[in-house]
Amino acid sequence: MSFQEYRKMLGQYLLPHRGKVLLLFLVILMGSGLQLVNPQILRFFIDTATSGSGQVNSLINAALLFIGVAILTQGLTVLVTYLGDTLAWTVSNTMRGDLFAHSMRLDLKFHNNHTPGRMIERIDGDVNVLSNFFSQFGVRIVSNFLMLLGMLVFLTYTNWGIGLTFIAFTGVVMFMLGKIRFFATPFWTESRETSAKLFGFLEERLSGVEEVRANGAVAYVMRRLHELNRLRLHKDRRAFLAAGVTWSTTIGMFSLGTALSLALGAMLYANGTLSLGTVYLIYAYVNMLRAPIEQISQQLQDLQKASASIRRTSELLGTKSALVERSGRSIADGALQVDLDNVSFGYSEEERVLHNVTLTLAPGKVLGVLGRTGSGKSTMARLLMRFYDVNEGGVRLNGVDVRDASLSEVRKRVVMVTQDVQLFSGTIRDNLTFFDPAITDERILQAFTELELLEWYQALPEGLDTRLGPSGGGFSAGEGQLLAFARVFLADPALVILDEASSRLDPATEQLLTRTVSKLMENRTGIIIAHRLATLQQVDDILILEDGRIVQHGEREVLAHDPESRFYQLLRQGMEGVLV
Amino acid sequence: MKTTQMLMQFIRFRPGLYAVDAVLVLSGWLLFLVPAYVGNHYFDSLSRGSSVSTEVWWLVALLVMSIVARILLMFANFYVDETFRHSIGSLLRKNLLSHILKLPAGRALLGSSGEAISRFREDIDESAEYLTWHGLLDVVGAAVFAVVSLVLMLLINVKITLVVFLPLILVAATAHMAGKRIDKYRRISRQSVGQVTEYIGEMFGSVQAIQVAHAEERVTKRFRELNDQRGRATVRENVFNSLLSSVFANVVDLGTGAILLLTARSITDGSFTVGEFAAFTYYLTWIAQLTRRFGMLTARYKQLHVSRQRLTTLLQGAADTELVRHGDVYLKGEFPEVPYVEKRDEHRFESLDVTDLTYVFPETKRGVENVNLQLKRGSLTVVTGRVGSGKSTLLRTVLGLLPQQSGEVRWNGEAVDDPGNFFVPPRAAYISQVPRLFSDSLKDNILMGLPEERVELERSVWTAVLDHDLQQLQNGMETMVGPRGVMLSGGQRQRSAAARMFVREPELYVMDDLSSALDVATEQTLWERLIEQRGEVTCLVATHRPSLLARADHIIILQEGRVVAEGTLEELLQTSEEMRRLWDGD
Repeated sequence: MSFQEYRKMLGQYLLPHRGKVLLLFLVILMGSGLQLVNPQILRFFIDTATSGSGQVNSLINAALLFIGVAILTQGLTVLVTYLGDTLAWTVSNTMRGDLFAHSMRLDLKFHNNHTPGRMIERIDGDVNVLSNFFSQFGVRIVSNFLMLLGMLVFLTYTNWGIGLTFIAFTGVVMFMLGKIRFFATPFWTESRETSAKLFGFLEERLSGVEEVRANGAVAYVMRRLHELNRLRLHKDRRAFLAAGVTWSTTIGMFSLGTALSLALGAMLYANGTLSLGTVYLIYAYVNMLRAPIEQISQQLQDLQKASASIRRTSELLGTKSALVERSGRSIADGALQVDLDNVSFGYSEEERVLHNVTLTLAPGKVLGVLGRTGSGKSTMARLLMRFYDVNEGGVRLNGVDVRDASLSEVRKRVVMVTQDVQLFSGTIRDNLTFFDPAITDERILQAFTELELLEWYQALPEGLDTRLGPSGGGFSAGEGQLLAFARVFLADPALVILDEASSRLDPATEQLLTRTVSKLMENRTGIIIAHRLATLQQVDDILILEDGRIVQHGEREVLAHDPESRFYQLLRQGMEGVLV
Repeated sequence: MKTTQMLMQFIRFRPGLYAVDAVLVLSGWLLFLVPAYVGNHYFDSLSRGSSVSTEVWWLVALLVMSIVARILLMFANFYVDETFRHSIGSLLRKNLLSHILKLPAGRALLGSSGEAISRFREDIDESAEYLTWHGLLDVVGAAVFAVVSLVLMLLINVKITLVVFLPLILVAATAHMAGKRIDKYRRISRQSVGQVTEYIGEMFGSVQAIQVAHAEERVTKRFRELNDQRGRATVRENVFNSLLSSVFANVVDLGTGAILLLTARSITDGSFTVGEFAAFTYYLTWIAQLTRRFGMLTARYKQLHVSRQRLTTLLQGAADTELVRHGDVYLKGEFPEVPYVEKRDEHRFESLDVTDLTYVFPETKRGVENVNLQLKRGSLTVVTGRVGSGKSTLLRTVLGLLPQQSGEVRWNGEAVDDPGNFFVPPRAAYISQVPRLFSDSLKDNILMGLPEERVELERSVWTAVLDHDLQQLQNGMETMVGPRGVMLSGGQRQRSAAARMFVREPELYVMDDLSSALDVATEQTLWERLIEQRGEVTCLVATHRPSLLARADHIIILQEGRVVAEGTLEELLQTSEEMRRLWDGD
């Protein structure tokens, strides 16, 4: 991680707020200036007092001036907190939002590898550290460096020998600090990663308490917690000790500076070059130096923590979706024609899930897909949604390869309902509209009417404002699927894919849905993946997959009457109650 | 338990370690007295003579040595302090998680897991940090430093010292009055933090649905709104805290001004020396730090109070002393063995009798009411009914995953008091409607801590019809399944969960809609293998699969949480309208 990268990140996020940054900077500048004034007052005070001329009045005036400056400094401190914090939150919230938006768009392969708990750590945890970096780091580093600069100027003005000594000294200190600044970074990275691991673990177990309890795995989970707790202790302790190296180097060098100033001051006082007040001024500046240098050191520690976070943040922002958007061709309106052209696909390089699948589905037709678990049915659906890109061949919607259309175009036109419905904590309305204010309550109710869900809806205690618990808690999996159907009605797509969408419904409810499904498929192209034949009574075509290959494809009517066909055999077995 | 009592319990947990930590911090602070001594004698020595005395050189050497000592102390201090902090944090996490795992599982968390994480993270870390070098100890060190300096200052000049210290008392009163607001701002800002983390967790848990709905932008917009709310709440809190600490600091700066005013005369006549003046201002600079620290500590104490309450909420009414119950946290030494309970005669299942069982969800007022149920060894009992009729609720209440509100469950004729802890392997095992897998290897997900050499992993995998898939998975049993098992297909997840159940060889199998993600052939195979392998199995299953209904010895039909009919399929098809509807789908 180089300074350029910091600058780039700071620039990207701070530039839009340069007015506020400038204001903040000015306030800090004033504050630092005032802090430099007080030792000068003290020098005047001492020199006047020890000169023996007894001007008590001017001493009292100096004391009052000192008090005035102190009050003003405090006021500026509060202002700096306000300006700095506001800026930090504005900036870090932008960053959180950007990270959130970016991650939301990443492909499912990414999300399959990152738990929601880990995303919390990445989007919130890391940026929290950065927020401190934004609100404190720039401000403090700048103000402390300005103080340093001011003191050096004053010292040189007072006595060029002392000034030059301390300019050289400061140069050495800066160089050393630059050398060791990043010493602890890898340790902080490990520390934060361990923490992400611990909280990812906890998040998963907390959302799977039933699994843990009912399988008698409590002791096992507790042991894993102990292991992660211990790991976190070891990583954190190492990181702190590593940071201590940086810190102690700073302090050590600084103490040499103090000793140097005392020695030089004594010698120059002895030969009459400096007054006692001036020696005190040097002593006071050096004592004042302690605080800024400790703060700089502290800030550098934070920077080490932050640079681990910055690295992970820019890593996350740099993670490209595996789905490259090319030209963004638009797909013609109306029901979609679906073409799979010699498609092969696997989730990893080694194993293929689909082999040379070629298939055409005419606009407005409905295709029923059958096959055993693992035969590639769901994978085919995911390719049509463009959750993944094919390894070979192509997927085309109305003649446009999905890789040439923009993702938003594809997702606007194609909607899929899966067996696992993802619901989140929030109102029913939010779960249906995903916060789209353009979808009115009337439209939702209309969808419910079409789905014959009005009765169910009216039984809800607070209507559309009824809150679902986390992960859709409080509602059954079957109800979740009904809500997923309502989502489709609201989305109004051109191609509807139902991936075993009704498997959690009882036959009575499913029967009810058959009517609405056919309503849904009106003027749309449809693909219904099922392992129950009853679901496929109204489809036009039938496709049977086995181990990722097409073993049968044709019109339902034809196949149903051809005793040689696999479908015919399935139908016969179906009559006996054994369906696939 | 008061917050102070909680802190006392922290100390009692690791008293020796904390004592060492405290001694190290105090020594570090006392070393800060050295520069005052050096400054005092340095200036007095200078104003006495015109040549550089050897005393000056000794003073410079003393200063350097004190810094070296401080650096050495610091490394020891980091080590001890971190160990103490993590001991407390680990204890809190252990107690909290183990308590949550004792609650009825279906009601273990009343908020989302993402929201609970913000308590496991911020609130616990903050509680653990309060006593340490990053919190209380530093202030205590500063206070000891202040007391010692006060004595030294009194020895120099009583009047000036008193004038400087009096205003501090006023400030303590101000801080006390500000307490309520600190509390309020803290609560608001913490709440907004919880909202943000919960939202991230929930949205990334639903990322596929969001992408399907093409709602990424809207979801992000809402996220930015929540963030802005939090930003505002936090800025308000910080500015208020800064205002408070600035009041503290200001009083001390005024004190320095007061010294100047008071000494204007005495310094000219030499009754107050420049060296003494240097020492006074040095002490005050550090005492200013004390007051600032003290202000921060008071604020953090209020925050700690809020954190304690937030953690206590997770206990759902249990005594909050549970939080700090002492016990090994295994930060060193051997980890605890995961006990393996072998099946013995006492576990053998004969019968299960459920009478008048009721559980109604407080939020939705739905659930099951007055359900009766009998299971005999070797029988297959099917619970069926429409969507939302209470099938899952019934199974979960029987198993104690939901707390029964009335009724009784008898195992082999004896009443079960604590079903949640009773219905575990080898007595019973359960597979939920949407089984959860964790981001571990497939093997770890199935075993979940069982000793591999003592169970029949391969046979369980075979019974669950997962053997074929296993050959296709690149790393076989070692395949990492991803968060919540997303690297596997829905069917694979369900069969992995089935293998997890089978490997435990329970007496009673409870399955909630096991077959919904399985095709009929696979499901048939699974049942055949289960019966072939285990012979006499007892199953309680929620389903509406015709093949299972046909196979069932006994069927219970639920409608709106009540049993409306029961019997064999044949009987029910004749007598029950609801059964016919479920069977035919008309």
